[in-house]
Amino acid sequence: MKRRTFTAMALAVTAGLGLSGCAGAAGTAPQAQDGKTTLTVSVWNYAGTPEFKALFDGYEASHPNVHIEPVDILADDYPQKVTTMLAGGDTTDVLTMKNVIDYARYANNGQLQEINNVVDAVGKDKLATLDAFNINGKYYAAPYRQDFWLLYYNKDLFKAAGIDDPKDLTWDKYAEIAKKLSGTAPDGKKVYGTYQHIWRSVVEAISAAQNGKDQNSGDYSYFKDQYTMALDLQKSGASLDYATAKSQKTSYRTMFESGQAAMMPMGTWYIAGLLQAKKDGKANVNWGLAPMPQKDSNGKTTTFGSPTAFAVNKNATHSDEARKFIEWAAGEEGAKAISKVGVVPALQDDAVTDAYFKLDGMPTDTLSKKAFAPDSTALEMPVSDKSAATDKILNQEHDLIMVGEKSVADGIAEMGKRVKSEVLGQ
Amino acid sequence: MTNMAEDLKAESRLLGIGLPPNTAEEDRRTERRRSPREQKKRTTDLVIYAVLAVLVVALMVPFIWMVSSSLKENNQVLTVPIQWIPSEFVWSNYTDIWTRIPMMGYLQNSLYLAVIITCLQVLTGSLAAYGFSKVRFPGRDVLFLCYIGTIAVPWQAYMVPQYIMMQNLGLTNSFNALILLQAFGAFGVFLMRQYYMTIPDELCEAARIDGLSEYGIWARVILPLSKPALASLALLTFVNTWNDYMGPFIYLTSNRLWTVQLGLRSFVGQFDAEYAMIMTGSVISVIPILAIFLIGQRYFIQGIATSGMKG
Amino acid sequence: MTTKTITPAAAPAAAPAPGRGNRKQARRNTLIGWTFILPNFLGFLAFTLIPVLAAFALSFMEWTSFSAPKWVGLANFQRMLASDSFWVALRNTVVYAIGHVPLTMALALLLAMLLNRKLKGIGFFRVAIFFPYITSLVAVAVVWNMLFSPDNGPINQFLHAIGIANAPGWTSSSDWALPAVIITSVWRDMGYYMVLYLAGLQAIPSELYEAAEVDGASAWQRFWNVTIPSLRPTTFFVVVMLTVSSFKVFDLIVVMTNGGPGRSTTVLSQLIYQEGIGEGKFGYSSAISLVLFLIVLTVTVLQFKIQQRRER
Repeated sequence: MKRRTFTAMALAVTAGLGLSGCAGAAGTAPQAQDGKTTLTVSVWNYAGTPEFKALFDGYEASHPNVHIEPVDILADDYPQKVTTMLAGGDTTDVLTMKNVIDYARYANNGQLQEINNVVDAVGKDKLATLDAFNINGKYYAAPYRQDFWLLYYNKDLFKAAGIDDPKDLTWDKYAEIAKKLSGTAPDGKKVYGTYQHIWRSVVEAISAAQNGKDQNSGDYSYFKDQYTMALDLQKSGASLDYATAKSQKTSYRTMFESGQAAMMPMGTWYIAGLLQAKKDGKANVNWGLAPMPQKDSNGKTTTFGSPTAFAVNKNATHSDEARKFIEWAAGEEGAKAISKVGVVPALQDDAVTDAYFKLDGMPTDTLSKKAFAPDSTALEMPVSDKSAATDKILNQEHDLIMVGEKSVADGIAEMGKRVKSEVLGQ
Repeated sequence: MTNMAEDLKAESRLLGIGLPPNTAEEDRRTERRRSPREQKKRTTDLVIYAVLAVLVVALMVPFIWMVSSSLKENNQVLTVPIQWIPSEFVWSNYTDIWTRIPMMGYLQNSLYLAVIITCLQVLTGSLAAYGFSKVRFPGRDVLFLCYIGTIAVPWQAYMVPQYIMMQNLGLTNSFNALILLQAFGAFGVFLMRQYYMTIPDELCEAARIDGLSEYGIWARVILPLSKPALASLALLTFVNTWNDYMGPFIYLTSNRLWTVQLGLRSFVGQFDAEYAMIMTGSVISVIPILAIFLIGQRYFIQGIATSGMKG
Repeated sequence: MTTKTITPAAAPAAAPAPGRGNRKQARRNTLIGWTFILPNFLGFLAFTLIPVLAAFALSFMEWTSFSAPKWVGLANFQRMLASDSFWVALRNTVVYAIGHVPLTMALALLLAMLLNRKLKGIGFFRVAIFFPYITSLVAVAVVWNMLFSPDNGPINQFLHAIGIANAPGWTSSSDWALPAVIITSVWRDMGYYMVLYLAGLQAIPSELYEAAEVDGASAWQRFWNVTIPSLRPTTFFVVVMLTVSSFKVFDLIVVMTNGGPGRSTTVLSQLIYQEGIGEGKFGYSSAISLVLFLIVLTVTVLQFKIQQRRER
């Protein structure tokens, strides 16, 4: 009996070995490219993020001596993996900075190379939110992608309710029409006037942007109006309540694509997903874009966004090639390549924007185009070593206010108290 | 650790009186009792079946949702309110997943890792457990406490030092890193040691008198007696390796080395996730575990251990 | 701390009976013992013990993982003791463990006894009990959250039906989120520990039960006087593993409540993860894990002592 068990074990081991060997069974090992420089770039979710392939293919086509090899990392825990890899002295050439908080950390820790000359070559005034990357006059990364927030709306639901397109909205007006749009669809499904996703930015970052405040300051009294409105919306049934959305892991895509939400403040990254879903016949929503609702009706639009950037690893094997790649990717060629897949480039250029609106399935009305040119775009979170810790606290208190455990005033007071003591050390 | 000795002594004492007097009278008495007893057994069986059936439903509900979600369009999965039966059955998820990601390769990688790690863990764990339970030498118990102690440290705490070490050894981005990390865990040693504690020392003694070496005792006496424990260790190690996400995530960078759990997470994007595909993949990845369980649970048959002890 | 539990006189007398002047024998035993332990120990030492000790050393340093570590003495611990978040997480972790350990253990033993018999289709039932453990965590989180839904969830509807007017808000309430997580985790883990008990039950010679029956012991007496004492080594293993895993709980909480609402379900390992790899304060996160380690070790040693006393 014993011998048989061991034989079985041995067989199983051999079978395992035979199947995959040490090389791994999911694909072939990368081939060495003769005479080419292999540039490695850390990316997340390579298969599901078409902008990377668009950039790499474009660059390889115009630079035949370079072969780009993506270092594919899961989107969920991307920063954790990059931190671990860098701690081990990893030599990946180009590092993609998923957000500015991580950028601040790597740059301040001396993990990135200074690339002022690359930024100068692309043109400082052309890159949106480049300021965010300025650390004492030095740039350690160049943004190639810039997502910002706008308002998605369902044109059919607006028409059915007899409401005009959401032009020049203030938050008051937004709340008012959200309530009007709520009700029951002909097929018996509940329709919410708007869907505000559970992220704290939906309330806090927009409020900081439109009040011109710094979220690391420890003073959060300016959140009050936005919270009062958000709570009122869910109480009146004009938006899905937060506790349900959070516990059921509600997908904002489902809410909008299934016609359950007439409006939805969301980032520009969703455009590519929406275009794709309609192309594949998986969604059938008649959508348009509008600028984010504003604090006052002075005609100026202020929103917030977050850039994505490329940086050169301090331990890069091919530093010069890496710089060249970034210059290309952040510049016009790169911008064109990523707009083709529906991604908003950081490079601000009329030609690029025009090309963007020529995408198949893109709404082309003037309101949508206006939504695409906000007067000012603040950063979602400041570039600071304090941002990560502040973010955590604000998230926790946001949770308590939105489930109704703390009043708006108490919650805001607690935010200030905790950030001051735990982050700012006051 | 100290209590173990007394524990064993107590047990062997029990074992001593436990051997029933095999008289003829005793035999007759059991015979007479059999038929009402059988009837009683049948009723208990029925009650047990009923309890189990209710339990199974309660335990399977989330799994049912998982299967149901795997048959939906992605934007129909996380609806409010929850939808139990898909409005339209999307069977194509089960064909698409093999082309969307290299699922077959991921399954092979997972299998390779799980099999190797399980074999090594069972082998080295049961060996070490013998040393910890049946051989007495100085420093043994301190060493054993070290083993248990490390289980208490969350992996997140020493992940980075460990990674740096692996990187310096040139082992990152290979299966070897994971095998080395997970095959020698304390879990198996601890589990097997506790099981060996229940095996009376008299058996080892008898074997020693028969002239067996310690290795011989381990292989011929202890191992055959510990089949249920080996089965449960193998099963639990296999499941843990198969379902592990963070370990492979940190150590396996090249896509061709990815395991099923990593492959499934690749459906999670930066701002949203394809839950229909994740659930499809999860259903598929459960099948090997079920196979292993059904094979392994055969060793949990009441009374198997006693046959070896009578001699 | 560790050495206190070990007194030479009480060490298991498992090896060949030591006679007079058996130093040679002792040396041989040491050699034999080590040859058994070595294959596992080498791997364990190199890939677990050394990194763990390195992490403990880091708790006295400031280290961002990029630069050289800087010695800061007890500063990390001082910061930790002054941090509100640490105490909240510690409290949650302890409450979780107190709820999770006994419940899971009792249910796992009950299930194991129920399933430790020859019945048609028993294999199917054993697998079924194991299902929660292999169901995708996301599925578990979504379905249990739905079951716990305050207004129209089946659990609260049942509570209303039996006359409980103000049923708890479960995962959307600070007071009830932790109990909700505990219930879910017990449901999920009991199959896992059931497997361990099932193996433990196999080791009990059926002669013991037969003898007890002959002596006229009732089913309940047999359970108390045969099953429970015979299972003691298994129970010790289960209790230690359960305690350890409760103090390290991470995945389920992240997926189910992500520590919320507010901080009401934030646990220590989440704190370690956020502070360490999330924010790059590795020294500080190591300090928390050292404390976590000491707590678990104390609890384990206590469990030893309690068990010992019962033996006497």
